Amino acid sequence: MSETPAISVRGLTKTFGDFTAVDGIDFDVPRGEVFGFLGPNGSGKTTTIRMLTGTLRPKSGSADVLGEDVVRHPDRVQRRIGYMSQKFSLFEDMTVDENLRFYAGVYDLPPEKFASQREYVLNMADLVGRENELTRNLSVGWRQRLALGAATIHEPELLFLDEPTSGVDPVARRQFWDLLYDLASRGVTLFVTTHYMDEAAHCNRLAFIYRGRIIAEGSPGEIRADHMEQRIFDITTSPVDPALQWLETAPGVDEAYLSGASLHAVVPADSALSDASLRARLAAAGFADAEVAEVDPTIEDVFVNLVSRQR
Amino acid sequence: MSPKRIRLLIWKEFTQLRRDPLLIRLLLLMPVLQLIMFGYVVAVDVRNLSTAVVDLDHSAVSRKLESAFSSSGYFTITQHVASEDDLRPLLDRGTVKVAIVIPEGTQDRLTRGETATIGIIVDGSDSQVSAVGSGYASQIVAQFNTERRDALGIQVAAPSVDARVRVMFNPTLDPINTMIPGLIAAIMMISLMVIMSQAVVKERESGTLEQMFVTPIKATEYLIGKLTPYAALATAQMLLVAAGGLFWFKVPFNGSIWVVLAGLFLFMFTCLGLGLLISLVSRTRHQAQQAVMFIMIPTMVLSGFIFPIQSMPAIIQPLTNLIPLTWALQVLRGAFVKGSGFEALAVPMLALVGFGVVIFGAAIVATRRRISE
Repeated sequence: MSETPAISVRGLTKTFGDFTAVDGIDFDVPRGEVFGFLGPNGSGKTTTIRMLTGTLRPKSGSADVLGEDVVRHPDRVQRRIGYMSQKFSLFEDMTVDENLRFYAGVYDLPPEKFASQREYVLNMADLVGRENELTRNLSVGWRQRLALGAATIHEPELLFLDEPTSGVDPVARRQFWDLLYDLASRGVTLFVTTHYMDEAAHCNRLAFIYRGRIIAEGSPGEIRADHMEQRIFDITTSPVDPALQWLETAPGVDEAYLSGASLHAVVPADSALSDASLRARLAAAGFADAEVAEVDPTIEDVFVNLVSRQR
Repeated sequence: MSPKRIRLLIWKEFTQLRRDPLLIRLLLLMPVLQLIMFGYVVAVDVRNLSTAVVDLDHSAVSRKLESAFSSSGYFTITQHVASEDDLRPLLDRGTVKVAIVIPEGTQDRLTRGETATIGIIVDGSDSQVSAVGSGYASQIVAQFNTERRDALGIQVAAPSVDARVRVMFNPTLDPINTMIPGLIAAIMMISLMVIMSQAVVKERESGTLEQMFVTPIKATEYLIGKLTPYAALATAQMLLVAAGGLFWFKVPFNGSIWVVLAGLFLFMFTCLGLGLLISLVSRTRHQAQQAVMFIMIPTMVLSGFIFPIQSMPAIIQPLTNLIPLTWALQVLRGAFVKGSGFEALAVPMLALVGFGVVIFGAAIVATRRRISE
């Protein structure tokens, strides 16, 4: 493996009129990693991907992809990268086979190479025997896997995935991540954007982008260690809404929000609160059934915390 | 640019078209339906026909006749020419639609008590103009005769002017002979704008457009791959209309096939450009449909396709020059009905070149910028 990083970005900026979509971001993605690019909708994730794939010209800054300057020579990069968007980008009025044939033709795959890749993709996507079905008639999970197959038919060294799991059920999401790990194990660098915070744990490295700026970067462990000085209590009670309202204004609690089915309350690192004392205060406030346990911050906790500090 | 990738894109486009049986049926049905619909035209009032006068008599009677025509409101005398030979180029270019020829000795004949014959030549390539125009001309002459008799206070058998109306180019005055050539251009415009803009917008909606530009496909390759199939489709439709017109409706074809092809080819660029521009401003297929309507309504009304330009208010008439179809109609009708050549049709041909360069050029530049933005 070469020592130049798969992606190296310095001061990358893109404006649309007065709006700065991406504001001078810097980061590196080492080869062979699963790099998670996290952020809420509209934070600049897709704009960044479009600049890295050479379809959007940045206003300033540099972006090297696979050792080439993608801003000046997108054509040198395009053959070596793959891209899959949340729309899956299949031709819905064409069959499974025609879609694969089209993308193979675009990358000028020799026939024998196409035959083997086609077989691999059909197996991977579990579509053997359904080659002549229109992709419009496939259900989401199959479409998603076929799109992955089409995006990797030319065996790219680097694969960009823009919210590849949005709108897909949890089981299909897990299966999809297994396929991504499989690609990563074969040395493909993955650049994945998502706004599902639980997917962050699947990545070797993360960058948080918020309002066009990277506000945290590192491995999931580093990010938790570097950006979370506060403590988190997990509270289960029913109903949750009144308890959430009470926590939001309770003295000694910095912040409270829903996390899955339970509530998370953020308190300062030097807070004297313990499981028992917080439960007592909740009980006194009328939430007799509240169960409280201090937990390690999740990536989601860190992100909520980072965003609230930005505001 | 890779011919292989362009072929692949064209194959993809045709594969997708094949999967849309409704679209294919519509594409074949639309020209047939319009052929039937526009084959039968509503007669429309015609005013201010540009008229040339050849006054060889230079007499009081000839001046009176001339003023009878100009005061009627139906004819506007725009030219006085010295001889009948000078009329042909004026009619060829469409500069005048009607010509009045008053032969030498008209006044003398009337004075001698003979019947005098004057000539009225009407451009038949625009059937509404010619039908209505020749009717009015006969009426004006009849009126002139009655007034003259009244003024002289003589009996019914008094000598009078006999108007001999001669319709040039389209002697049967069949409206279909001018509708069919126009329909060829109109159908090309509609179908190119509709299908092409829909196809591009569909690709944007499904994300495949975005996907393709991450691959080695170049913007130019994409455009050629997109334009070629639709240009071929529009050509097939035009042939269908032309065949229907020539063989079913028996429209006479007097001109040169090269003039027709050149005009259509030039006009095709304008239509392709408009289709592309619509696809650029439309986010959804529904918006694209609305945009097509937005362009088609003024085009149909102002181009002279349905309503003769001569019958429009004077303020509106210059606007018709801004409609590309106006010029395409002039070329096609001129070539079909009058058999006009490149020389006579130089102005509309140049106008089509201008529209093609501006609209198609702008569409290509804007699409490329949008894609590589």
